[in-house]
Amino acid sequence: MDCVTATVPQAGTDRPDYSALIQPERVHGSLYTDPRIFAEELERIWYRTWVYVGHESEVPQPGDYVRKNIGPQDLVMTRDREGQVHLLVNRCAHRANLVCEDERGNSNSFRCPYHGWTFRNNGELLGYPYHQGYGGRGKLNLGMATVPRVESYRGFVFGSFAEDGPTLTEHLGAAAGEIDRLCRLSPEGEVELNAGWLKHRTRANWKLLAENETDGYHPQFVHGSIFSVTGSPIGALYSEKSTAVTRDLGNGHSENDLRPEFRRHGEPMRWFGTTPDRVPDYVAKMRQAYGDEAEQILVEGAPHVMIFPNLFIAEIQVFVIQPLSVDECVQHSTAVQLKGAPELNRRMISQSIGSVGPAGMLLADDTEMYERNQVGAEQLRPEWLEIRRGMHRERVDERGLRVGTATDETGMRGFWSHYKTLMEDDK
Amino acid sequence: MTAVADAGLDLRQIEQFLYREARYADEHDYDAWEALWTDDALYWVPAGDDAADPRSQVSVIYDNRNRIATRLKQLRTGKRYSQSPPSNLRRVISNVEILGTEGSDTVVGANFVLVESRTRGMEIWAGRVTYKLRVVDGEIRLAYKKVSLVNKDQPLPTLAFLI
Amino acid sequence: MSDEQDRPGVVVGPSSPEVVGSEFAEVAVSVDHEGNGPRLKLEDLRTGRVRYLDALELETVVWLPDGHLRQLLDPSAHRWREDK
Repeated sequence: MDCVTATVPQAGTDRPDYSALIQPERVHGSLYTDPRIFAEELERIWYRTWVYVGHESEVPQPGDYVRKNIGPQDLVMTRDREGQVHLLVNRCAHRANLVCEDERGNSNSFRCPYHGWTFRNNGELLGYPYHQGYGGRGKLNLGMATVPRVESYRGFVFGSFAEDGPTLTEHLGAAAGEIDRLCRLSPEGEVELNAGWLKHRTRANWKLLAENETDGYHPQFVHGSIFSVTGSPIGALYSEKSTAVTRDLGNGHSENDLRPEFRRHGEPMRWFGTTPDRVPDYVAKMRQAYGDEAEQILVEGAPHVMIFPNLFIAEIQVFVIQPLSVDECVQHSTAVQLKGAPELNRRMISQSIGSVGPAGMLLADDTEMYERNQVGAEQLRPEWLEIRRGMHRERVDERGLRVGTATDETGMRGFWSHYKTLMEDDK
Repeated sequence: MTAVADAGLDLRQIEQFLYREARYADEHDYDAWEALWTDDALYWVPAGDDAADPRSQVSVIYDNRNRIATRLKQLRTGKRYSQSPPSNLRRVISNVEILGTEGSDTVVGANFVLVESRTRGMEIWAGRVTYKLRVVDGEIRLAYKKVSLVNKDQPLPTLAFLI
Repeated sequence: MSDEQDRPGVVVGPSSPEVVGSEFAEVAVSVDHEGNGPRLKLEDLRTGRVRYLDALELETVVWLPDGHLRQLLDPSAHRWREDK
């Protein structure tokens, strides 16, 4: 039954047969290497479903803007005078020039440098020079395009290029609770992503990254070098003896739920590699803010969740995956900043610099694997990539979600199941 | 290795030191490279905005002496996969200028171009380096090295070697 | 060697305001850095009302014809109107 050709199996149409390419136990290599499949992903995933774009804390003041993206699409995230956040496509309505060139700034309106067309920061056309050429003022209804649906969950701004479809709340489903868990680590219940971004160019298909984010099987191998020299306890979280679990959260989202391990130890701040006496102000503020609940929050720590298709919250870091082509993407990463927790924030920046980005002592090695994996997937045989680890020992938890052990590929199976649904959707 | 007097490093001595530091980095001579640093070392590669405060904004690298040691220990395991096998490197240091002094440190600026070859291709790295050099026990030591890449605002490929 | 220091030209918080005043009005003027780029902050000291102007808006003010500005100064143009 392995005698399939190395080309994309067809189902009598021009489109790839995703049911043949994505099987319960394995997925076909062409999913990572075929430019036609990437083109379909743009259309059916990136330009349709909810995609994470930015955080409200990146545009704190009216008039603030930052350049953002959905895949290869260049966007400008703005905040208008009323405080509302907009996502504009960075393209002049006149001759398609880029309107904004700076990464960030403060301006309530944008003037295209090519011919001076001027737009409000909600995209609306304010005017154009020498208006008689258009028969007078206000004759054209040509604004900058906006991403049709923009919604925010606890400051995390998502966009969808589809006019309608599931709401953001429906899309996030069980993953919303993981964002809540991150926010409640702040004594004020809010996180900020205002520590700047590292941008890491990665010559690999974006799905290799998305799958790896909740793969608990790789850390002891890929990261063994740093765990051994720092005596890090992270390796143990992902060992065969770990009580942590991998959970399919539905809609392609998945998590490594480390709480069982932290509860077993029952030590506040262990998740952050410290003890309450070393961050006394933070612990006091948390106890004041959350009362009896504080102990549990301080023991259980931060989530490790991959939100389909591009937002990865890795405890104290946030990653955003930006696909550029079938074999290239950019990983954007930053340190989580907890509002009202300056004691932790500085350490989170320092730890993040050590771990992530192009020189990170963790992420440089993950990225090395992504790039080697891409080269491997381009080889002709045996065509398939395995996703079956732990299938026989999977269970369903009280919320009806599939759960595997710390090293099982439960998260990947959840990713592919949702991916297949989106790619086969003929709407 | 030439012993130097406490005061007044001259350009020739400085250049010889910078070339040596570059060679140790190019040749992955981690022990020799590590020995160049002072105890209060700072090894910094900014990301994006060069003027940002590295304590409130993320950098590509912002290593104190302790973290330099950790970084090198990881490289020495041979299982730092992003440098195993190690990149083939050669860099050129040029436009060396003495910019002034800060306490007992001599502040030096230079430009560099570095070619990195790996199985998956060739990368060109370039930028401005600011060094702070200090004479300790008659030898020049490195107290500070800031590498400001020309493309620091763009997505960077993996940077796991010593830059 | 300002370009060689760790943090050249980092401006923290607003510049200290200067007051442009006359017997008719008093406005505190400063450059605000709370946003992603600098803005001019204007505070009417008699009412506390604050207005921010970004660079493009300021340039627009510079280019306002005197006649247009005179119309804006008419007390019944915006601030004191029966229909407000």
